[in-house]
Amino acid sequence: MSLVPLEIPKIGLVMENARLVRWLKSVGETVRQGEPLLELETEKSVVEVESTDSGRLVEILLPADREVRVGDRVAWLESDLDVPVAAAGKASVELAAVPAKGPAGPAAAVATAAQATGRLKSSPVARRLAAEHALDLRRVQATGPRGRIQLADVRRAIESKEVRGPAASVAPQALSSMRRAVARSMTLSNATVPQFFVERAVDWTRLQSVRAQLLAGLPESAPRPSINDFILQAIARSLRAFPQMNATFTGDAGSPEAALVPAQGTHIGLVVALEGGLLVPVLHEVDRIGIVELARRRGETVERALSGRLKREELEGATFSLSNLGARGPDRFTALISPPQSGILAVGRQRDCVVAVGGGIHVRPVSQLTLTVDHRVADGRLAADFLASLTEILEGNTWRLT
Amino acid sequence: MAQKLTFIEILRRALDEELTRDPAVHLLGEDVAVGGAFGVTKGLAQKHGAQRVRNTPISEAAITGVATGAAICGLRPVLEIMFIDFVTLAMDCLVNQAAKYRYMSGGQLAVPMVVRTQAGAAGGAAAQHSQSLESWFIHVPGLVVVAPSSPVEAYGLLKSSVRLGDPVLFIEHKRLYAQREAFVPDGPLPGIGTARIARAGTDVTLIAYSAMVGNALEAAEELARSGISAEVIDLRTLLPLDMSTIAASVAKTHRAVIAHEAVLNGGVGAEIAAHIGHELFDELDAPVTRVGCPFAPIPFAPELERALLPGTANIVAAVRELSS
Amino acid sequence: MTASAPTLDDWKEMLRTLWRIRLFEGQVQRLAAAGEVPGFPHLSTGQEAVAVGVCAHLTRKDSLFTGHRGHGHALAKGCDLQATFAEIIGRDSGLCRGRGGSMHLVDADNGMLGATGVVGGNLPLAAGAAWAAQVRGDRTISVVFFGDGATGAGVFHETVNLAVLWRLPILFVCENNGYAEFTSREEHSKVNHVSAFAAPYGMPAKTIDGNDLRVVHAAAGNAIAGLRDGSGPFLLECMTYRLAGHYVGDAQQYRSKEDLAAVQEKCPIERLKRQLIAQGVSESELAGIAEEAKREVLQAVEGARAAARPDPSTVLEYVYSAPSLSATTG
Repeated sequence: MSLVPLEIPKIGLVMENARLVRWLKSVGETVRQGEPLLELETEKSVVEVESTDSGRLVEILLPADREVRVGDRVAWLESDLDVPVAAAGKASVELAAVPAKGPAGPAAAVATAAQATGRLKSSPVARRLAAEHALDLRRVQATGPRGRIQLADVRRAIESKEVRGPAASVAPQALSSMRRAVARSMTLSNATVPQFFVERAVDWTRLQSVRAQLLAGLPESAPRPSINDFILQAIARSLRAFPQMNATFTGDAGSPEAALVPAQGTHIGLVVALEGGLLVPVLHEVDRIGIVELARRRGETVERALSGRLKREELEGATFSLSNLGARGPDRFTALISPPQSGILAVGRQRDCVVAVGGGIHVRPVSQLTLTVDHRVADGRLAADFLASLTEILEGNTWRLT
Repeated sequence: MAQKLTFIEILRRALDEELTRDPAVHLLGEDVAVGGAFGVTKGLAQKHGAQRVRNTPISEAAITGVATGAAICGLRPVLEIMFIDFVTLAMDCLVNQAAKYRYMSGGQLAVPMVVRTQAGAAGGAAAQHSQSLESWFIHVPGLVVVAPSSPVEAYGLLKSSVRLGDPVLFIEHKRLYAQREAFVPDGPLPGIGTARIARAGTDVTLIAYSAMVGNALEAAEELARSGISAEVIDLRTLLPLDMSTIAASVAKTHRAVIAHEAVLNGGVGAEIAAHIGHELFDELDAPVTRVGCPFAPIPFAPELERALLPGTANIVAAVRELSS
Repeated sequence: MTASAPTLDDWKEMLRTLWRIRLFEGQVQRLAAAGEVPGFPHLSTGQEAVAVGVCAHLTRKDSLFTGHRGHGHALAKGCDLQATFAEIIGRDSGLCRGRGGSMHLVDADNGMLGATGVVGGNLPLAAGAAWAAQVRGDRTISVVFFGDGATGAGVFHETVNLAVLWRLPILFVCENNGYAEFTSREEHSKVNHVSAFAAPYGMPAKTIDGNDLRVVHAAAGNAIAGLRDGSGPFLLECMTYRLAGHYVGDAQQYRSKEDLAAVQEKCPIERLKRQLIAQGVSESELAGIAEEAKREVLQAVEGARAAARPDPSTVLEYVYSAPSLSATTG
């Protein structure tokens, strides 16, 4: 038997910290390798974290509802070779087991835990000065011993004036991890991705009848395909038709390392609005399945997104996204690309419009489609062709339903 | 041109002047009529008479009591106790009698007495002739504890002590005895209970007394070379403490390092740190830090003595630790 | 002060002082039992003749130091009955404004310069006062009262040695009551008489019956005359007998019934009364002296009890010579 420390693994590409939502095991309980041990709320979702080892949970170093950082030591496991390894399930995320460092393991762990409490270290006079200037100490660079914010740090911050908070009477509010993720992602998008927009109207008349026929033929218990499922399939087919669009740009545009990475398969994100933020769960290999199966998968994925239980792979791998603000949405809008994707389609609300069809005046259900494209990946011609293809599919009659 | 005098010569001069000024002033102690163990009172018995400068037997308890009793009756005795280590033998008188006489008598009687003694480690005097015991006495209401840092300081502080109406423990560091300083006797005498700024600075306050003030000044010089401006406070009086001078400085620098030769446990530094922590909490930019002797008796061998005693390097290191 | 042989009136006055002390301490004991006396007062009941016999030779300019059993010495030295009692019960009008109490009576104006609670601690202080007297050269002297227990303290020997060396005008008065704290003399020292310690230091000494006022008066008179003439220190050992326990409330379990039976025989008041009757003083006159003393004492006690208690806001006064020194301490 030996003591094995368990640490917070890195989840996703950009995760730095997360919130420990709850422990799924108690001290004294036996844990098998691969068994879920705790839940973490990352910037994107709540994920279950599995144990990397088998044994008895002897000490929990961090309680629930606590910010944690990658690498934080959270528990001690007394490993026991007699406990069989759990059947390899659909592993979500494994806790990173690290070798215990020397005999002073648990004592060292306590120190780490204390650091992980996240208490901001600052000197009394630094705090006083920051308060006088309504300065958020969390935004002050600490240069003192043991990471302490000192008077000089606060003075520097005040002089730079970049970190001035709102008036003293309004306390700044900390960002939720989701808000922070959206903020970071969109800042990255707007600041680093040159984006252009192309627009086109789509007439839903034919698709509405196709959908009505499909729904009529489905059993009561089956998931109900939505317009979004059809749009997703249309996007997938267009991406297949225009593989140049189905790629991601990597590297600094000015550097020799800059490159286009073609995608393997059609992986499309669906923007899901949540209270206080949004998530973009990814539906994989959309072109390989019919509308009915897509509706089922889309329903489940959105459900997991709403309940904060997305799996890691459901957040990664997309090159393109769909944003549909629904019946109460605007007539038209533009969306920002979610890096490292290269395109996003914004779907305006469906409304009846007077349109000229075959020389006659008709009233038809119409939406305005706005396509945002990463100019590093594609140009206007390609984007226009892609959008034309997409519209034609949506107005056509060539669906793979099952 | 200013005359250069040693610490010992300046003490002698101060005593000589006080003996001349006030007939109530009397010196007593072991061998003082022949100059005392360190020659401080050399020649004074010849000049002022055997009644004014009296030899005593080696009886610390009795002679401290005699000085106290004489002070009660109107004399101003200046008693020499050869080493502060020997003050232990006079504790009853100092702590139970002299310190409390004014209070216990409801203000009827006073003890205007100076107990001159010599403390600190230097030159292999070993464990019973090297101690820094000042903190024992700052715990006693009614006593005054003075610890001069240089010859010129000793002159003014000794004269002020002789003229005070309270029992004063006047602690002279043996390391300072041979120190020489240009001396022009002018200006007002320093007030008992007032510290002085020995060097002005802006980044950190170094608080010291007795011989350690010299180390603090050296440390300030060294720190200045790396751009750290240290203010040095010479406490001069350990009881009562001049907290207002300390507070004004720390409010400016926001950092304090207290240095003394005595061990840290229950020391003067602990007392000052507590005051700063409480009264200046919102001014602090770093923890109050103390530099002192590790918790061991003073050893004999020079290598060991050097290894134990705190010095300039310790003060510099303490300041640097606050800044990085 | 009696320069020449005391007259009959002098003896009557001394009897009055004996009564004052006896009755005063009786009141201390009574109020201590009633819980009106803070701390633990020590009584000198039975030893009054030493205080009165020695102090009869002193002026207000002479210094007197005593120990923890010093009520009698203070009163014999001339301290005001009411101010002394007020101090013992902790009143603002007390000698020391309630800062000292029973064990630390000081009355500077009357030369009552100190009473210390640490056995032996008063000896060098008295020597210091004697040195000051010597410096002044005004023929005043210093007297210190101590118990035989103090000879166990090194400072006794240090002080005697220094006093002889410096030829100080100091009278060491040992009240040898046979008990040091709670154990008898035999258990403290193989030296039977304190006076025996004097010779090796070259100091004259005499052991006398401390319960006979006439004996004490005569011996102290001779010694003090010599002191004023500059003949150097003197030790007067007064064999005496304590009628009260070590302190008020002490059950006196360490004393035999036989001991107590000797009390009446040794009581200094009874002995002086017998002597005065032999000299023709009437019983009723003696009773009158006692009555007057009683009236004086009761008046003083009631006056002291009615006096104001100290104002708590003054508790920090008298620590230092200047308020500025107190202000800068923690």
